[in-house]
Amino acid sequence: MPGYRPEPDRDSRAWWDRLARHEFAVQECDACGTLRFPPRAFCAACRQEGWHWRETVPEGTVESWIVSRQPFVPGHRDPYLVVMVRLTAVPGALVYGNWRAERQPEAGERVRGTFTQVDEELTVLDWAPESRIAIRSGENSPVR
Amino acid sequence: MTHVPKRLLEFTDRTAIAGVGYTPFSKDSGVSTLTLACRAVLAALEDAGLTPDEVDGLATHRVGDSAPPTLVGPALGLSDLSWHLDQFGGGSVSHAVVGQAALAVAAGLAEVVVCYRAINARSEFRMGGTGRGLPASPEVQYQAPYGYVAPPQQFAMYARAHMLRYGTTAEHFGALAVTQRANAAKNPRALMRTPITLDDYLASRWIAEPFRLLDCCLETDGACAVVVTTAERARSLRRHPVLVSAAAWGGGTSHLSCDDPTVTAAAALAPRLYAQAGVGPADIDVAELYDCFTYSVIVQLEDYGFCPKGEGGPYVASGATALDGALPVNTHGGFLSEGYVHGVNHIAEAVSQLRGEAGDRQVPGAEVALSTAQPGYVLPATSALILRRA
Ligand SMILES: [Zn+2]
Repeated sequence: MPGYRPEPDRDSRAWWDRLARHEFAVQECDACGTLRFPPRAFCAACRQEGWHWRETVPEGTVESWIVSRQPFVPGHRDPYLVVMVRLTAVPGALVYGNWRAERQPEAGERVRGTFTQVDEELTVLDWAPESRIAIRSGENSPVR
Repeated sequence: MTHVPKRLLEFTDRTAIAGVGYTPFSKDSGVSTLTLACRAVLAALEDAGLTPDEVDGLATHRVGDSAPPTLVGPALGLSDLSWHLDQFGGGSVSHAVVGQAALAVAAGLAEVVVCYRAINARSEFRMGGTGRGLPASPEVQYQAPYGYVAPPQQFAMYARAHMLRYGTTAEHFGALAVTQRANAAKNPRALMRTPITLDDYLASRWIAEPFRLLDCCLETDGACAVVVTTAERARSLRRHPVLVSAAAWGGGTSHLSCDDPTVTAAAALAPRLYAQAGVGPADIDVAELYDCFTYSVIVQLEDYGFCPKGEGGPYVASGATALDGALPVNTHGGFLSEGYVHGVNHIAEAVSQLRGEAGDRQVPGAEVALSTAQPGYVLPATSALILRRA
């Protein structure tokens, strides 16, 4: 099988399960309301454990990107674009994904997450320009 | 001025690096990392004029890829070590290992500690990320599914963020690669000694845009070691002592939470480091800065205060980091051209410069050196040393 599947841990499994249902959620602290990502037991702002999921729209801005041109991932030799996105819901959080558009990203560009279903168990989150969410199948298919 | 606790001032200049040792650098050592480690340790002791029986401490850093002190000690017949350190980590912790050895010596837990790094990073365990498993970190699950797994990709991502924010260019990265290769041409130990031009840099193949092949360090087989002892003991030994004036480590931000990816942990560490040694950037005569990639040096020049934030690229392109520049950087050629021994060869080169034994690449009159570890990307920590000719 080409590429890598994520290996959820005890903090993150429920987040991946939600993603498989095409839901994007971050954690909200019960005590102070701070939103956080990735999933962790403790709020870094108030060091309390209580939290609940807050479903949100996966939105962000482009912080950087690369075009990978070396076979770093088994089975994949073609160039592919990985984008680093700052989450709007959690401004301190950076997330990554493959880029789902024909042109390259632009610095600071607003982007929306797109749910890419790999199989029944696994969905991953890719990114596309905010104005262009619909993806025709097979186009710029992300590497995995 | 950063506040420095009095106990830290008592640490400053109490310990010294009394010897350095290398194995040859190659693409295939043909031997185990245990053998490489033993050779480098013995070479460093020989350089210092010490015998193995005088060693009471060993320290290394590794990422599950090399021989720990608990193997090297018995292999060299060192049956009664009073202190050892087996530090998990890559390039972020190289200088922390020497710092911790200096602390152990200053505290009297050991008197002669050899710090080493032995690695078959080309023939056995490629650090570049191809052909080996993923790191065991919970952060990997948010990156690996997108084919984002290897240090060249990760540093390229941060490099582009810097380009977008400050206008840093490929020509700036290229200038650094060209300058370090010119230094390596004067270093008999360097793996890559043929001078290159900016055109050669620009023509080298893409690895992960914006990085080309010549942005990336060499994957190397080899080992390097340094001997840490008390300043007093070092004065009685074979070589001119090089004092540990400051050692600092800490800081860092993660892949997944970071307010500004163009600022590294070095920016927070640098004031503590300089204050310990009682010097500032203007006092540094030579800097051996962790150069896993070209960008790593450019961002450190800013975060260690040698130029304003965002101007690391133009600073390098001006020639300031050349051997005859205002701040000679990576006089041995660095990981880009000498070889990649995960930080220890940067410390050893600083020692050679401060002893005045760096041959054709000697910086005249070098008295104070800065040497740094990976500035805190990927593994959120960094470390650094300021060394001074006694
Ligand atoms: Zn909280």
